[in-house]
Amino acid sequence: MSQPQAPATAAPATRELEMYFGPQHVGMVGNFGIVLTVEGDTVVRARSNPGYLHRGFEKLMEYRTYMQNFPLVCRLNVMDPDPNEALYAMAVEDLAGLEVPERAHYIRTIVLELSRISSHLMWMWAYGNLLGFDTLGQWTMGDRDYVLDLFEMLTGGRVYHTYIWPGGVRRDLPPGFAEKTLQVLDHLESMLPEYDSLFFNNRIFADRTKGVATLGRDEAVAMGVTGSNLRAAGAPVDTRKDEPYAAYGALDFDVPTMPDGDSYSRAVVIRLEVEQSLSIIRQALEGIPAGPAWTKTPNPFKWEVPPGETYVKIESARGEAGFYMVSNGSDKPYRVHFRSPSYPVGILVLERLLRGASLSDVGHIMLSLNVAAPEIDR
Amino acid sequence: MNEEDLKQRIADRMPQCGVTVPKPGRLIATVPRDGLLSLLHLLKADGFEHLSLISCVDWFDEGELELVYHLWSQEKKVHVMAKTRIGRNSPRFLSTIPLFRHAQTYERELHEMFGIAFDGNTRQVPMLLDHWQGPPPMRKEFDLRQYAKDTFGVEERAG
Repeated sequence: MSQPQAPATAAPATRELEMYFGPQHVGMVGNFGIVLTVEGDTVVRARSNPGYLHRGFEKLMEYRTYMQNFPLVCRLNVMDPDPNEALYAMAVEDLAGLEVPERAHYIRTIVLELSRISSHLMWMWAYGNLLGFDTLGQWTMGDRDYVLDLFEMLTGGRVYHTYIWPGGVRRDLPPGFAEKTLQVLDHLESMLPEYDSLFFNNRIFADRTKGVATLGRDEAVAMGVTGSNLRAAGAPVDTRKDEPYAAYGALDFDVPTMPDGDSYSRAVVIRLEVEQSLSIIRQALEGIPAGPAWTKTPNPFKWEVPPGETYVKIESARGEAGFYMVSNGSDKPYRVHFRSPSYPVGILVLERLLRGASLSDVGHIMLSLNVAAPEIDR
Repeated sequence: MNEEDLKQRIADRMPQCGVTVPKPGRLIATVPRDGLLSLLHLLKADGFEHLSLISCVDWFDEGELELVYHLWSQEKKVHVMAKTRIGRNSPRFLSTIPLFRHAQTYERELHEMFGIAFDGNTRQVPMLLDHWQGPPPMRKEFDLRQYAKDTFGVEERAG
């Protein structure tokens, strides 16, 4: 019997494999895919694959009157719906020249910060889960429900609130709302040290995330990054400070930053922001003036907004969210374009940071960027 | 005032540019299409390093598409909308990727939604739409209701 011959050609130098990550993944809010090219355990290339949640909002809005668009806009981001309502309201107010009462500004601030907390708590659930800290997820999702209870009391809805509308808010604070909010704030404040000792001060979390997927300040700016991702790279950029809207100009709060720009820094900045949001809500509840919570708007069936264009922006839980709205004088917007903070981050930045990463880090790198897929797809 | 200084500087260096300040913190600069890249270079050198958004408005009746580049300066706290108009028929424009890296994604979307070809952008592949066969859907001639009716057989309800 002859010996088997060794193959004449050597094995190919690379053994690249294409792998689909998502579109259904525990780490991603909504449906979002990444096509990874891996060699062994290392990512060689990554290609973001958005579009699973494209609902054509911007086109739909050109077919609907200004008031009909109001219940549509919150659905731009499932996690953090209120900033989109506020943006839409601010854009219409700017074009139509509506004045918003001071009390409505304070109520908006409270609602926007509650939305930020609820979004950050849900983020902690997903991020903790991906790093194997299931308990953190159980706690934060449980605590987020208390915030949703407040939304239910205030607006009737838990996830979507359709509350901030052009001219103010839909109704005033119900009796007992401030007391209930303070109870929830007390509870969340008592839980933050628990989150820290379980997760944020845990060595396993630091070991897994320090020095991973680092994005420096200059590169972040060059790639359109805003929000906690930019602040984690040491730039204290926050629309609430740079161009105060609602009641933020009258309130005192810090903009937390971290120097390193890695996955760890991005997570810690989000954790520190929750603390600031709690303080902002307390101040807003204390300083809220009496008076009307909305201003009278024209008959919604006959409301024609003067021609013009505007760009308004606010700091959502993920960064700079903006609305570019053009009116041609009719009863419907001529063009609406939504600037979402997840858009530059979820595509180019994610692809750049995943290059060379370990396969086991893909989930938490994606999560550390706090991307919301519905915002990208619109 | 930051905006007024900036308005004066742009007017000095680019006389063909029309500049307005609609409200504090906002500035609108309109140029003919061959001046837009110079304007963006000028603004970037002046500290406008954050590109927020590239937008497009379809002015159907005038036969033009308006490109709107949204820039922000963290130092000046001013948001500039740099605008130019191009023809609606087989629209082309130069890519701004050399100036702003993430312009790639915005241009990719405008290519998909408005049919604008950006010279120099090598990634003008479909992004949000899935196996789309129709015309670019954000253009005004694309009728959403008619498309739904033709494709899915949805009848308009009375009223």
